[in-house]
Amino acid sequence: MLHDFSYVAPTAVDELFTFLATHGTKTAVFSGGTDLFVNIRGGLSAPDYVVNLKSVPGLSDLSFDPKAGLSIGACVPVTRVLNDPTVNKKYGVIAKAAGELATHQLRNRATVVGNIVTASPCGDMSSPLLCYDAQVEIASAGGSRIVALKEFITGVKRTVLQPEEIVTRIIVPTTYAGTKGNYLKLKRIKGHDLGVVAVAMIATSKVIRVAISSAAPTPVLLPDFPASASAETIKESARKAISPIDDVRCTKEYRAFMVEEFIDRLHAEVKA
Amino acid sequence: MKITVTINGQKYQRDVQESQTLLGFLRADVGLTGTKGGCGAGECGACTVIMNGEAVNSCLVLAVEADGATLQTIEGETVKGKLSPVQDAFARHHAVQCGFCTPGMIMTVKDLLARNPKPSRDEVIHGIEGNFCRCTGYQQIIEAVLDATGQLKESDKEGLKYV
Ligand SMILES: Cc1cc2nc3c(=O)[nH]c(=O)nc-3n(C[C@H](O)[C@H](O)[C@H](O)COP(=O)(O)OP(=O)(O)OC[C@H]3O[C@@H](n4cnc5c(N)ncnc54)[C@H](O)[C@@H]3O)c2cc1C
Ligand code: FES
Ligand code: FES
Repeated sequence: MLHDFSYVAPTAVDELFTFLATHGTKTAVFSGGTDLFVNIRGGLSAPDYVVNLKSVPGLSDLSFDPKAGLSIGACVPVTRVLNDPTVNKKYGVIAKAAGELATHQLRNRATVVGNIVTASPCGDMSSPLLCYDAQVEIASAGGSRIVALKEFITGVKRTVLQPEEIVTRIIVPTTYAGTKGNYLKLKRIKGHDLGVVAVAMIATSKVIRVAISSAAPTPVLLPDFPASASAETIKESARKAISPIDDVRCTKEYRAFMVEEFIDRLHAEVKA
Repeated sequence: MKITVTINGQKYQRDVQESQTLLGFLRADVGLTGTKGGCGAGECGACTVIMNGEAVNSCLVLAVEADGATLQTIEGETVKGKLSPVQDAFARHHAVQCGFCTPGMIMTVKDLLARNPKPSRDEVIHGIEGNFCRCTGYQQIIEAVLDATGQLKESDKEGLKYV
């Protein structure tokens, strides 16, 4: 590693929060480390302390409750979500996107929570979670609070998290559990690649919900559409909501074009 | 920090720098240089090892995280001079050219076969998507895996032998 840091492995939640209350601004917590260590190696991050959340008990729970919904703990790797029968049955679009994220080796380490906290415009977990109205549980020595995912991510790699806080889990309510839907991700190659653009759509008998990645500074959740909405209506709304840019992966025109193409395909799929 | 790791059945105890990667630990601290470092950023898979039964990119794991862990690396594949079935198939199919990707590729395939003993061609392609090979063009690698799992017809194997 290019930068030297001290490693901290708290064995209790209280110990973790006390540490963060004192050293939060000089600390990076991690679970999978697939973003953090790449950033440290690239000189983009230089924390004095690196805190392993996996050593803290109680953060690795992945469970479903018929009332409370799905709970994805901070240290749940993407592979577990991808292989979980309940996630596949009730939140199929999350499972689909989990399978699109990086490679098998990385999915064994990368967490769903880490993906959200990284707040990359192209993060694969955010669009499906936005469709299902996911909530983010944040905690610190001072207590805990719940923030809707759509308010949690505030800009490119920016969130509402404070230095002394961590995300303890993501809660996915049952409101849209078991609904039809899919996640389409455009990549430059067939193998693993960050998304050029991606669209998630779910549909119940009453509403259609759509979220778009890689087409604005944050993943974008469109306003709810009635189940009868046409693809044209959704595309019109998407055009207003996104602000794609040119970058190494493609041009803004291609991004805008593919968002509409994916909306067409997804709409046909959920209406079939 | 002092850590104890079991690698290919043997216990190692070392004092490591807290910012050392598992890849750096294996190569520099233990001296097992079979595992390769390519990109150091999770892209290429050259550094793939099996940690507690799961394939991971050792360039993105800290050595201290492996304290108490059980690791399998390429050095454990050949036992008493006998190549593992996957190594043997790689050799017969010329799935090795410069060889730089091979240790990571073989550990990835070993992990894939532990989860899925008879992967289809598509499953092999998908399974090795985290491992770059810049020489062979993948064809021989895929065929080697299909052969190692008894899925290649005799006619497809003509002319295959060690060189
Ligand atoms: C080669 C490569 C390919 C990739 N491909 C994809 C891809 O196709 N799609 C995709 O979406 N992503 C991809 N990624 C990105 C990455 O794997 C994900 O963002 C991953 O989900 C992050 O999870 P993690 O547990 O590894 O995060 P970490 O690296 O552990 O943490 C990420 C960030 O979040 C913070 N953090 C982590 N957990 C918490 C918490 N509980 N509370 C507060 N802060 C926290 C850390 O301080 C850090 O800043 C790729 C990465 C690599 C290296
Ligand atoms: S060296 Fe680890 S993935 Fe390339
Ligand atoms: S044999 Fe050279 S990179 Fe694969």
